Amino acid sequence: MTLYTCVSDSTIQPVIKQFEAQHPGHKVDVFRAPTGDLNARVAGDARSGGLKADVIWACDPLTMQNYLDQKLVGGWTPQSDIPARVRTNDYVGVATLYLVAVTRKGSPQPKAWADLTTEEYVGGVAVPDPGTAASALGALGYFAQNPDYGIAFYAALKKNGAVQVGTPDNVTTGVAQGVYRAGITIANSAYPAQKKGSPINVVWPAPGAIAIYGPIALATHAKSSTMAKDFISYVTSKGGQTLIGASGSYPALPGIPSPSMPASAPVVFPDWSALGSQKKTLLKDYQKIFGGG
Amino acid sequence: MAYGRRLRQVVLSGVVAVAVLLVLLPILVMVRTVWKEGSGQLGNILTSPGLGVAVGNTLVLAVVVTALAVPIGALLALALRSPEVPGRRFWQFGVLLPVLVPDFVLGYSWVRAYGRAGFTDDLFGRYWQGVQGPAGVAAVVVVNAVPLCFLITAVGLAARAEPAVERAARISGADPLTVLRTITLPLMRPAILTAAALIFVLTLGTFAIPQVMGTPAGFTTITTRIYSNLARSSDPLSFIEAITLALLLVVIAVLVVTPADLLLGPRLRTTRVAISDSSAETGGRAARRWAAGGIGAYLLVAAGVPLLALVATAVTKAVGVPPSPANWTLENFRLVATARNGEALVRSLLLAVSAASVLVLLGGAVASLERSRGGRRVATLVTLTVVLPGSTLAVGLLITYGRWLGGTAAIILLAYVAKLWGIAHRPISGAIDRLPPEEQHAARVSGAAVLTAVRTVVLRPLAPALVAAWGVCFLTALHEVTMSSLLYGPGSETLAVVVLNSEELGAVGGTAALSVLLTLVLLVPALGLWFTSRALSSRRRPLATVPELPGAR
Repeated sequence: MTLYTCVSDSTIQPVIKQFEAQHPGHKVDVFRAPTGDLNARVAGDARSGGLKADVIWACDPLTMQNYLDQKLVGGWTPQSDIPARVRTNDYVGVATLYLVAVTRKGSPQPKAWADLTTEEYVGGVAVPDPGTAASALGALGYFAQNPDYGIAFYAALKKNGAVQVGTPDNVTTGVAQGVYRAGITIANSAYPAQKKGSPINVVWPAPGAIAIYGPIALATHAKSSTMAKDFISYVTSKGGQTLIGASGSYPALPGIPSPSMPASAPVVFPDWSALGSQKKTLLKDYQKIFGGG
Repeated sequence: MAYGRRLRQVVLSGVVAVAVLLVLLPILVMVRTVWKEGSGQLGNILTSPGLGVAVGNTLVLAVVVTALAVPIGALLALALRSPEVPGRRFWQFGVLLPVLVPDFVLGYSWVRAYGRAGFTDDLFGRYWQGVQGPAGVAAVVVVNAVPLCFLITAVGLAARAEPAVERAARISGADPLTVLRTITLPLMRPAILTAAALIFVLTLGTFAIPQVMGTPAGFTTITTRIYSNLARSSDPLSFIEAITLALLLVVIAVLVVTPADLLLGPRLRTTRVAISDSSAETGGRAARRWAAGGIGAYLLVAAGVPLLALVATAVTKAVGVPPSPANWTLENFRLVATARNGEALVRSLLLAVSAASVLVLLGGAVASLERSRGGRRVATLVTLTVVLPGSTLAVGLLITYGRWLGGTAAIILLAYVAKLWGIAHRPISGAIDRLPPEEQHAARVSGAAVLTAVRTVVLRPLAPALVAAWGVCFLTALHEVTMSSLLYGPGSETLAVVVLNSEELGAVGGTAALSVLLTLVLLVPALGLWFTSRALSSRRRPLATVPELPGAR
């Protein structure tokens, strides 16, 4: 079977290796690329004979919903204890990204997201581009939907001299290098950099880190549908989720050991169904503030 | 002779068929896709917010880069004309160095070298605020374009120089500037204008440098916007917008290149054998020393410091710690020395060797036809493939042939051949132009078969040009990333794609290590080619040809 995914090699390779070991005769070919290239590939496939993947493991629900709207995926999910909050009848969340704050050592640590708009951070905050990174789009959705923040939060960041960079990883790098004093990034990017020795702190500001779940789905016209279902079942199982947790990603199944996460860390969730219809307007509003597009 | 005509017609038919399959058909399929899926949206797409800014940025960037790169390249060609310039061979190779480094690696290296918290900031407390932004993008695209201009103008000088006239003018009392203004520059003008046209259209299609250096500062061009739309192409409308913008870029490129090619093409062809008297008037000893010093300073800023910063990043254990010996490690190299990256490197080498070999055959075929009207039309068509943006070609090829070849190395090979055909063709064409046709007739009249005449009379003197064309195509294909990143599939990643994905994933140390590895992979064969070329030159009196450089980005 063929798997299309945006998940990092460090997570996907152990999962495939263990799946193949437990299912003799099963072989998984993987096409791994950042979400943008993955989308271009799927769009090209769709116009040249159909999707060549049997399974898609995406990094955000909006991308998967677009695939579903084009009838490229969906129609089946496995039995699993993964919470209903991160699953639909057509796809199921298997890993989670957490948008957190990262600060350069020696810089103040924000207690709340709103602190990034204060004078302590004038000209020193980096934000990821929601037009490039799906996780950043999730954050934009959450803030816009939260009446205490709204799109005005981004206007305040800009007014405070915040700079837009490409991806959350670019934010982590910029803060570690001392180009910025703080930024919005993903926990999977910040903790490994900190572990390697980069001079940064990771903060989970109130009201909480923003959770973006990565869903997996069966292709509508999967050629190896039995193997594909076996693979999805494995990824959502306790064994697969444990492997995901051990590889440095945050599993979706409760009770599975995860990477670094403060005790009782606050977590918030965007309203994904509403965000699906709001995203174009939100992106336009955002780009009026930060440019790009 | 009838056999020769038949052979020529067969070659012409074959070349036309390949050009239709690789260039025209993908563009027509893209037009059909836009028409079928987005004809009702064209107005919205072409008036969408930000597009005007991106078009404006693209055009201004192309003008600025052309205005800077052409004089620098031409000056370098003039300065390195005299064999008395100290270290001339070394500087000639040095001028070509930036083009041997993949453009996205060059862009990344500049950010690490001159940006805030970069190399110069760490060492001297000085950084360039604008390195990530339009000024930085323009600077690096200029650095990347200068070798192309240098080579084209060097070819122009080699083919058209009139050293005897220049000496006569000097003896008659003209000062060096007057000689330059009244004799040398007019002779170089066609080559300079050709370089300007090529650099302008190639800058229209440049992607990697604006993406790496411009996007973080909100500087968008048509190509970065195309990429951004492709990135969001899980939404069908974004995909149609990407294709529409690619076609817009093609239209702009065709509008510029076609008149330039029609106007300049015939003026660049010459039937006389070049005068290889290189004792040109280039000023006194002090001027030559100043020239060598200036070139050295330029290369230090343009390529030396950025590459040093890249190496420093590659050997530093974590982002944000100073690149001092206490923090040095080979861990980044160990991490990227994976079996997967090794496979990608081997695949890249195989693809580049295959593409270069096919391209030399196709380039030679077109060059051999250029004395007929049909051949000249094909040559113009082939020139268009050079200026087509890589992303345009990739999407077109994906929709046209993805059904059968999607995700395979074969579709990447097709893309390389389509994109680089004109680049392979030009150095060979330049050499054939100066190959006296009488020699072939003499061989045939003396009883040699067609193939024997071609082998003994044509191929031997063309060897340096063929080697140069092969080398240029090999190097360009090896570090091509725009098309590869859109076309690769399971098991067909190239090394450049692995590097770009790594950069997007934020593994800075690993990216730098891979980039150093990729640069070495390019430098080693480049040095090999340089020595081969020198050996060939020393064995026989060469035809006055200098390899043109890829403009493909």
